[in-house]
Amino acid sequence: MENIAFLPIGPEVILLIGAVIVLMAAVTLDQDRRDWGVVGAIALLVAFLLSWAQWLRLDYLERGQELAFSARGVESIHMPMVVMDRFSAFAGVLIFLIAFLALVGNWGLVKTLGKRGAEYVALVLLAAAGLHMMVISSNLILLFMGLETASIALYVIAGFARVERNSDESALKYFLLGSFASAIFLYGIALVYAGTGSISIYGSGGILAFFSSQPVAVLEVGILLTGIALMIVGLAFKVSAAPFHQWAPDVYQGAASGSVSLMAAGVKVAGIAALARVLMGAFPSRIDDWAPIIALLALLSIIVGTVGAIGQGDVKRMLAYSGVAHAGFMLSAFVAGVGGIPSIWFYLATYAVQLVGAFTVVSLVSGVRSGASPFDQYKGLFERSPWVAMAMATFMLGMGGIPFFAGFVGKVGVFGAAMSAGYTWLVAAGLIASIAGLFFYLRIVVLMFFEAPVMAEAPGTATAAPRLAGGAGFVIALTAGLTILFGIIPWPLLNIVKNAL
Amino acid sequence: MIINQFLLLGAALFSIGVYGVLSRRNAVLVLLSVELMLAAVNINMVAFDRLNQDVMAGGQVFALFIIAVAAAEVGIGIAIVLLIFRNRRSANVDELDLMKL
Repeated sequence: MENIAFLPIGPEVILLIGAVIVLMAAVTLDQDRRDWGVVGAIALLVAFLLSWAQWLRLDYLERGQELAFSARGVESIHMPMVVMDRFSAFAGVLIFLIAFLALVGNWGLVKTLGKRGAEYVALVLLAAAGLHMMVISSNLILLFMGLETASIALYVIAGFARVERNSDESALKYFLLGSFASAIFLYGIALVYAGTGSISIYGSGGILAFFSSQPVAVLEVGILLTGIALMIVGLAFKVSAAPFHQWAPDVYQGAASGSVSLMAAGVKVAGIAALARVLMGAFPSRIDDWAPIIALLALLSIIVGTVGAIGQGDVKRMLAYSGVAHAGFMLSAFVAGVGGIPSIWFYLATYAVQLVGAFTVVSLVSGVRSGASPFDQYKGLFERSPWVAMAMATFMLGMGGIPFFAGFVGKVGVFGAAMSAGYTWLVAAGLIASIAGLFFYLRIVVLMFFEAPVMAEAPGTATAAPRLAGGAGFVIALTAGLTILFGIIPWPLLNIVKNAL
Repeated sequence: MIINQFLLLGAALFSIGVYGVLSRRNAVLVLLSVELMLAAVNINMVAFDRLNQDVMAGGQVFALFIIAVAAAEVGIGIAIVLLIFRNRRSANVDELDLMKL
């Protein structure tokens, strides 16, 4: 037993136990009781703390010795399935924080689901476990298993409000395109396996060792490059980078508002982290081959996301397209190789927090179960509930990259990384898109503050004047606070992400 | 070992699967086409495993995992298709256009 280290997989163990307890408690306890739901939140909180403990443990172990992200574990005899480094520890902290906020902030959804609420909580736990598995995997089998665990749970979550017609449509679109992308991703893994002779990244017989030992190619190099390209396609789908983004607006709009934040923010964190692990962890010596592909994807995402977001009349669709553009901004730091990882982390952390906050506001304003969130519902929000409107304005300005909000520091970081790698055209396109992006972020702010309210609902109902109260209030206040805090004093987070590789 | 036949079979199956996903109207047939793509990956995995003489048998293990995951995916997929059919009396993916593109 002493050969098994439980700390790296501790979060998964806790989450699976939590999911089982929630499901069993929901069956055996009284149907009206909701206290089993607290178990889910506690499990996510414990997983969050365990990821933090991983970070501290690594600080303790590696004091004084610097391990390069790309060279770790090549000398060891084993071919590890999971790897515990600062990269995975930081990703774990972020994923579980997002999943926790997504669950607590949308407690209203769990309540309206009635006795199906337990299934929803269990699915959130399983999705979080899958997302974390993607980022700790050092083996392509486990990477794929994590991807599928998370995806299958999220397909169900997308269709959870099943009586709503848009919800089933959203689930089917997500499922068909998601499984298609998974199959392409798998074909890529098969070709990479053919080219390198291993499906383990680290370890003596792993992919890294193959590249570092004067590779005698098993087959032509073309098969390896095709494999890398197909793997990029599969993961680009998950982070909704153009041209693989078409599912995102429909899925976000159709799924119940309360469930979108995990789908959007959590998957983006895990997908970007897994892409970084594959490209910079396994194929750092092939950077000249994959950097142009990534740069092109980034350019397309930035353009398509920005242009697409301008024409939208629905807040969730607008956020989906802006997510495409943000994926592009993050991908543009990939071209700098391992040196770009800190700026990717900073951008990802701040963007994910803002996104969770924004979707929590959407679920307050449009209702947790509803699909559509037309702009009309946001007109005059400041008069009806000033605090919610001010929080939403914070998220919008943060995503737009206004100075003194967290998004600005993130943008400076990723553009600096792309600049240092010599991709000036990409930075130029990114800067233009950032300015154009202000149009649709500021439009929401103008609607909320300067337009007269257009209310379909009777005044006095919960949706007519959403209040910052309970779990949602806590989440919105926390995320808005972090957005402003890291915009004004970004150094603590910058110091953390500098080590997160 | 000559593996060209296996790779050709895999590539052909994969292409047929992609064609099916893109051209079929019925959600169940799209699902079947995705399964064809996964089967193609399995053939490739096992063929490359033999070619590489992998002592860990990574390709074969991966094929087993893919089979298990594919089964889980079909379970969810069929459930979603049933839900669509119950709500709309049709499983035609072209009719899923309630949301603006």
